Amino acid sequence: VAIQSGRQDPAAAWRHLDITLLMTVLAVAGYGIVMVWSATRDKLAANGSDPSYYLKRQIVFVVIGLALLVLTASIDYRVFRDFAPIGYVGTIFVLLAVLSPIGSKSKGAQAWFQLGSYQLQPSEIAKVVLIVCLASYCAVHRGDLDGRRLLVVLALALLPMALIYKQPDLGTDLVFVAILICMMLVAGARPRHMALLTALGVVGVVAVLQLGVLKHYQVDRLSAFLNSQTDVQGSTYNLNQSKIAIGAGGITGKGLFKGTQTNLSYVPEQHTDFIFTAVGEQLGLVGSIALLALFALMVWRTWRISTIAKDLAGTLICVGILAMLVFQMFENMGMTMGIMPITGIPLPFMSYGGSATLAEFAAIGLVLNVHMRRFS
Amino acid sequence: MALPQNAETARLRLAMVGVVVLCLFAAMFARLWYLQVMASHTYVTASINNQVRRIFEPAPRGRILDRQGRVLVDNRVSEVVTISRVEASKDPVTLARLAALLQTTTDELNRRVADPRFSPYKPVPVAEDVDKSKVIYIREHQEDFPGVEANPTALRTYPYGTVAAHLLGYVGEINDSELAPRKSKGYRQGDDIGKSGVEQSYEDVLRGTPGVTTLEVDSQGNTIRTLSVRPPEQGHDIQLTIDLDVQKLTEESLVQGLDTVRSTVDKSTGNHYPAPAGAAVVLDPRDGSVLAMASVPTYDPSAFINGIKPAVFQQLQDPGSHFPLNNRAIQGLYAPGSTFKLATASAALKTGLITAAYGINDTGSLKVGNRVFHNALNESYGHISLTRAITVSSDVYFYNLGNMFWSQRGKYGNAIQDQAKALGFGVKTGIPLTGEANGRIPDPDSRKRLHDQNPKAFPNGQWFAGDNVNLAIGQGETVVTPLQLANAYATFGNGGTVYEPRIAAHVLDHDGHVISDIKPKVVRQVPLPPDVRDPILAGLKGAVSDPKGTAHAAFAGFPTDAFDIAGKTGTAQVVGKEDTAVFTSFAPADNPQYEITVLMEESGFGGTAAAPVARRVYEGLAGKPVTPIQLGGGVD
Repeated sequence: VAIQSGRQDPAAAWRHLDITLLMTVLAVAGYGIVMVWSATRDKLAANGSDPSYYLKRQIVFVVIGLALLVLTASIDYRVFRDFAPIGYVGTIFVLLAVLSPIGSKSKGAQAWFQLGSYQLQPSEIAKVVLIVCLASYCAVHRGDLDGRRLLVVLALALLPMALIYKQPDLGTDLVFVAILICMMLVAGARPRHMALLTALGVVGVVAVLQLGVLKHYQVDRLSAFLNSQTDVQGSTYNLNQSKIAIGAGGITGKGLFKGTQTNLSYVPEQHTDFIFTAVGEQLGLVGSIALLALFALMVWRTWRISTIAKDLAGTLICVGILAMLVFQMFENMGMTMGIMPITGIPLPFMSYGGSATLAEFAAIGLVLNVHMRRFS
Repeated sequence: MALPQNAETARLRLAMVGVVVLCLFAAMFARLWYLQVMASHTYVTASINNQVRRIFEPAPRGRILDRQGRVLVDNRVSEVVTISRVEASKDPVTLARLAALLQTTTDELNRRVADPRFSPYKPVPVAEDVDKSKVIYIREHQEDFPGVEANPTALRTYPYGTVAAHLLGYVGEINDSELAPRKSKGYRQGDDIGKSGVEQSYEDVLRGTPGVTTLEVDSQGNTIRTLSVRPPEQGHDIQLTIDLDVQKLTEESLVQGLDTVRSTVDKSTGNHYPAPAGAAVVLDPRDGSVLAMASVPTYDPSAFINGIKPAVFQQLQDPGSHFPLNNRAIQGLYAPGSTFKLATASAALKTGLITAAYGINDTGSLKVGNRVFHNALNESYGHISLTRAITVSSDVYFYNLGNMFWSQRGKYGNAIQDQAKALGFGVKTGIPLTGEANGRIPDPDSRKRLHDQNPKAFPNGQWFAGDNVNLAIGQGETVVTPLQLANAYATFGNGGTVYEPRIAAHVLDHDGHVISDIKPKVVRQVPLPPDVRDPILAGLKGAVSDPKGTAHAAFAGFPTDAFDIAGKTGTAQVVGKEDTAVFTSFAPADNPQYEITVLMEESGFGGTAAAPVARRVYEGLAGKPVTPIQLGGGVD
């Protein structure tokens, strides 16, 4: 009876809200807004544009994101689970549409829908939808992933990945790989299957590099971090400038709005993919560690919720989102610090961008959802 | 938690995920620590270098003045048009437009743009001394001339043309081997540096401090603001010991002397003397100051401004041009001939081998062992003492001394060589000019050493009596530079003080105030007691004043009220060539103010060819009318 009432009374679930996770996410999003402002203010002013253009837009994204969070937290995640097949088909349709003339091309990738002055990037939303779908499929089989079911899981993931590869957006595909590995592991894939997939993965990477499947600039960028002194003005330029910005910040940073690397536009794409350099240069080790701590808190709460979820679907949703967040954090900050290859992956809740911000808020909404309904 | 049957496995797998996440965060923390704490300083530097650009402006070099303050090397401003290679290759129209403006051809501009002497990262100069109105036109129509700039540049200028070219030297763009040790002094690629002569020796005085403008720039290279400006500071002036008048007179006299000799026929061969080259030095024996230093043939130092043209440089290197870049006064190695008798005579008197009264009967030749040595032209001088032997330049007298030293070598050792080196023969004088040659005074040991090291090139490792005989009259393997010879006689003239020849006297600021003095430098003293010095001095005076003196004819009619000159002629035999004519002298003989040495390659007798050149310089120094060169008589 208690379970029944829990399901029917929306207000009851909100009593179990994980305030810590929500506050952490809001803190990071606020931090991100300030950093986006500091990274764009001087450049916009130098162009004669409105210095708070990106600031205002990022605030709008965060507000919409928050609304989306409330929405995804409100509807019982088991409803999402039940409607997962529809969501999957819809996502595939949208990913196909973006490759058609309806979609538009920017920075070399056919990855956006232009909606007025806003751009929607469906691959960001696809990540969250796929997490829910995979969680639903695995949960149905109660964690018994034999070889045949594992193939289904792989097929479910590979279809959207192939469409995203067509755009091309290699970075997002890598996020999918991280999500897939983590979810298969926790969903109960056999160790020998995992070993086999790992071996196939290694062979696959070698083959892709050797057979020239990747475009030359992609290999260049991916391997630039391995030898960053080779071409200071070419493909390693971003990386060197990025490391200079972070390293020059030192322990306390140069002060907010006082970063020369930031203000003089030495780091390209600084308000999006390289937002962490703005933190490193202006706020130094102190600011970077603070951000790292907030991220750790966010990840820990997500991980904790995965362990106390009511059912396997809830656990797997949390695991998938955890994998997505952690991979994006590590890959993004790692690339700015020269320990990971350069790919266009946003830093969660920090990088400027509408689609990513909305998807991330929606994802955290789902995690909160699982937490709120852990007793029902 | 409602996990399926294998709940424990799921829990374990979640824990694995947690551990991996922990490791990733630890890795990020470690990397942050490395970048922002351990290696932060290098990134701070990189970030400052990123945003700061330094624009260097070369400082005008200091001027070079003669001892009376006349400017020998000055600066002038030249508008130089440069173009960036990147821009030049982008749009051919720019070059065509520039060619039209500068009244030249596109081909010519392309040739200059391709000039490999200029760094690819720096704008290439394509035109110098551009009219001010054209410079203004370029600035006003900058959009038509992308990458083209016009900048005022200080260039060297030589108001007296080629006068003292070797001594003054020239300036050129710094090369890698010059740059490497000077980076700490603020030299940069493309800077000018003194390449030879005074320009090189006093580089630190003349250079000045380049101006630096520090700009803050953004990633596009746009200037945000100027951080600091330090204007260039012109280098200090240097005042030489050289006297422009004496220098000009010396150069003119040497050139005239060589010209005159070239128009003369050597009676023994029936050919004209080649007389291709020569050197002359005027010293002040009282402090070692160089008053003039001439080397013929010479070159035009202005050819090196803005980089010498390859064709011109080729010509300067051509053997047929007789190497005009060489400063023969310090680099030329010549057998001193009879002028070396100063060393032999003073060694003989000093060691007590003979006294001044020692006389012989000069029959025109001397047999040493089974070899017969002759006087020049087989002259015989009869009964002669040391003084007389010097005056008439009797070789037989000195053959005899060389032979005596050899037969008593157990007692006297290498007395001739020791005395020669003490006087400065075959030893670097230390003049502050690069490239000074060592010279060579051979002795039994040095010959053996050479033979042992390289028996093929030096088949004879043994020293014979005949070698000592040759040594005594400055023949054989003995070679000295004209400056060494001049300095040796200056030393004898001043009573035995060996000075390091001095070419500069003061460092001045631009208003002519003395910043520092360059003091005369005594290297050593050579004891020349009266019983050694007087008989030799008398012989040297006689060489000029005695009717039988070897330089007497050259000085016939010289105003006797001016100077009492002491001198020594020399005629050095060179295998396969005409003799080198040598004359070295000082005046006034008893208290010398001037030492003049003249060497002329392939010009015959020293008394005939070289002494008249010195005479003409003395006339000028005495304030007398300078007479045209007339070759003297004499057999040495």
